[in-house]
Amino acid sequence: MVGIKEYVTKKNIKTKNRVDLISRYYFLIMALLSASFIILIILFVVGKGIQPFISSAYLNVELSGSLQPVHIFDFITKEMWLNGPVGMSSEYGIGFAIVNTLLVVFLALILAVPVGVLTALFIAKIAPEKLAAFIRTITELLAAIPSIIYGVFGLGVIAKYVASFGVATGNQTSAGLSLLTTSIVLAIMILPTITAVSETSIRSVDKAIIQGSLALGATEMQTFFKVVLVSAKSGIFAGIILGVGRALGEATAVAMVSGNLFSGITTNLFGTTTTLTARMLLGIKETTGLDYDIRFSVGVVLMAVIIITNFLLRQIFKKVGNLDD
Amino acid sequence: MTRVKKRRLLDQGIRTGVYLVSSIALFILAAILVYIFKTGSHLVNWDLIVGDANDINTDIYVEAEPGTYEIAEYSQDEILYFSEDWGIGFINTYNKEGHEIVEVGYISEDSPFVSALDKNNVDEYNRPLVIEVKVGTTVEKAFFNNGIALGVMGAEQIATMFDQATVIKSLTVQITGGGIRGSLLATMYLIGMTLTLAVPIGVSTAIYFNEYAKKTRFTSIIKYLVDLLTGVPSIIYGLLGAAVFIPVVNKLLNTAGGSLISGALTMSVILLPVIIKSTEEALKVIPNDLRTASLALGASKTQTVFRIVVPSAIPGILTGVMLSIGRIIGESAALIFAIGAAIKDRVVLTERATTLSVHIWSIMGGESPNYELASAIAIIILGVVVIMSIGVKLLARKLNKAWY
Repeated sequence: MVGIKEYVTKKNIKTKNRVDLISRYYFLIMALLSASFIILIILFVVGKGIQPFISSAYLNVELSGSLQPVHIFDFITKEMWLNGPVGMSSEYGIGFAIVNTLLVVFLALILAVPVGVLTALFIAKIAPEKLAAFIRTITELLAAIPSIIYGVFGLGVIAKYVASFGVATGNQTSAGLSLLTTSIVLAIMILPTITAVSETSIRSVDKAIIQGSLALGATEMQTFFKVVLVSAKSGIFAGIILGVGRALGEATAVAMVSGNLFSGITTNLFGTTTTLTARMLLGIKETTGLDYDIRFSVGVVLMAVIIITNFLLRQIFKKVGNLDD
Repeated sequence: MTRVKKRRLLDQGIRTGVYLVSSIALFILAAILVYIFKTGSHLVNWDLIVGDANDINTDIYVEAEPGTYEIAEYSQDEILYFSEDWGIGFINTYNKEGHEIVEVGYISEDSPFVSALDKNNVDEYNRPLVIEVKVGTTVEKAFFNNGIALGVMGAEQIATMFDQATVIKSLTVQITGGGIRGSLLATMYLIGMTLTLAVPIGVSTAIYFNEYAKKTRFTSIIKYLVDLLTGVPSIIYGLLGAAVFIPVVNKLLNTAGGSLISGALTMSVILLPVIIKSTEEALKVIPNDLRTASLALGASKTQTVFRIVVPSAIPGILTGVMLSIGRIIGESAALIFAIGAAIKDRVVLTERATTLSVHIWSIMGGESPNYELASAIAIIILGVVVIMSIGVKLLARKLNKAWY
């Protein structure tokens, strides 16, 4: 066995320090690598997305000249996806898709937030422990289901019911592919998020406040609705913001049930619609050319919409949070 | 009614309302499961897992000579016209559009048609592909040394001509696919490659944040950049894959277009935050005493990290791995951009292929979505996801118990 005196030599310590230095740099490099990806996304996706607006490199062999670059303002405000045949025209627009996306997500929120918050209240305060754990597991399972399966379910079940509902109320539908179907599917998908975050927030409401309210003679339900939920406001709002982010970014399920609208803004519950993500996904034919590259531009718009919505929602919630009750 | 009584009734009503609303989540989950199982469970069998996805339309031939074959067991309703010389039996039936067609109703176990050869396609060694003629294969034409048989002639005539022939020159067949072998393999390849990339980078990043980083401005900037990754929708990652990884892989490996490799690179970026977070959680739980004790005993920091800290964090790392596997199987939008949506039966790493979810996307698109196959695949996906979720829960419990 080596004695301490022999082990702790200057050489050994030097090696140890050198090895430590190397590994420290290795881990640092790995961390830098991880941090670099978001920059890559910004650089390359935005970079490619801007191409159609500035570059005249979209030559069409059939036409005598090259395609005009896409006009930014037109793109953002236009009502129609493409004016003219694919490959021959560069008059793309997604203004309508922005509005439709916001409508779809808004309707999904109207459906999901009440259900989510009430379920969270139920799990956190009203249900007996075993039942609460059960419903919580159900919610977690719902969160784990991949979005494409929601698409299949939406197409196979929800669309059919919406179609019959539409017929019963005198509305035409396109086999059930509609604004209503899309919003229902999205609502189901963001329900777990809202429920989970709200539950955490409701749980952490100070017991003293609840007891105080009950002591003052309020009933349980009065307390829950007027005291607990109000105190848990900020958490619930955080859940809503997360849910909105998820809903805006959802692609495959929405693409399957929205109906692939090419132009116009849909306010009719039973009319087909589209979203930014669905527009990106549907109709991919080639992997080169303007029709493909323009999807990157839609991606850039999507990111902008998410950032702006996030910001606006935070502002609104801040204001609401400061209101006197 | 007194005010108190009214209030109490109202309360009961609201309470019942909340109970009902909370059952909506249960109702939805049940509806999804019932639908998926009702629509797809009849397809979930071994054939589905190992079968080819695409239809095979080709001409086949056999090099064997006529022999003597028997029918071991036949219990279908249609009359079977059996060729004893070749061990193949035909029935008259109708196809999806209602036209009369001739199908193979029975194949003897040792019939030469079990490993027939493809006239039109070869494998990578330039040998003809081996095609297995199965029950349900549609027969359109047959060329013999002494004549030609056409599907319109009916099963009986075709069987007779088979028996009269000594050489089967070619047989034009149509075998419907519907299997998922290709996509299953592609999914497993993708999981393997992605984890190989993401786990080292993710775990190392978490180690840096937790073991090495000091509280400087620089560190918080890096942490922030990594945090931002969680807020990006997965379709944008798909765009990243298409914009960066596909061209890079094409240049490095001389391929063209999307490939499983570009998909793996894309998925690694998506999963990086997941693995970093799980590992960080695990690292935080480890008591500092272990680290200081190790250092006090003379170990270098490197030894401490690799031999003490990392092994103790394994449950957390495994949690991240399981979450990642679930995520990979379920991911669709990003992979549609980063790889493509072409279903393949032969899966090559440098070419396109579909994972199970993208396979569903592919068959659900277009004019006639295949709900049954989609539901069957969904059953398989859900099975794996549930197993992973249970695994994560068990690991979480173990992690919480470990240090107390």
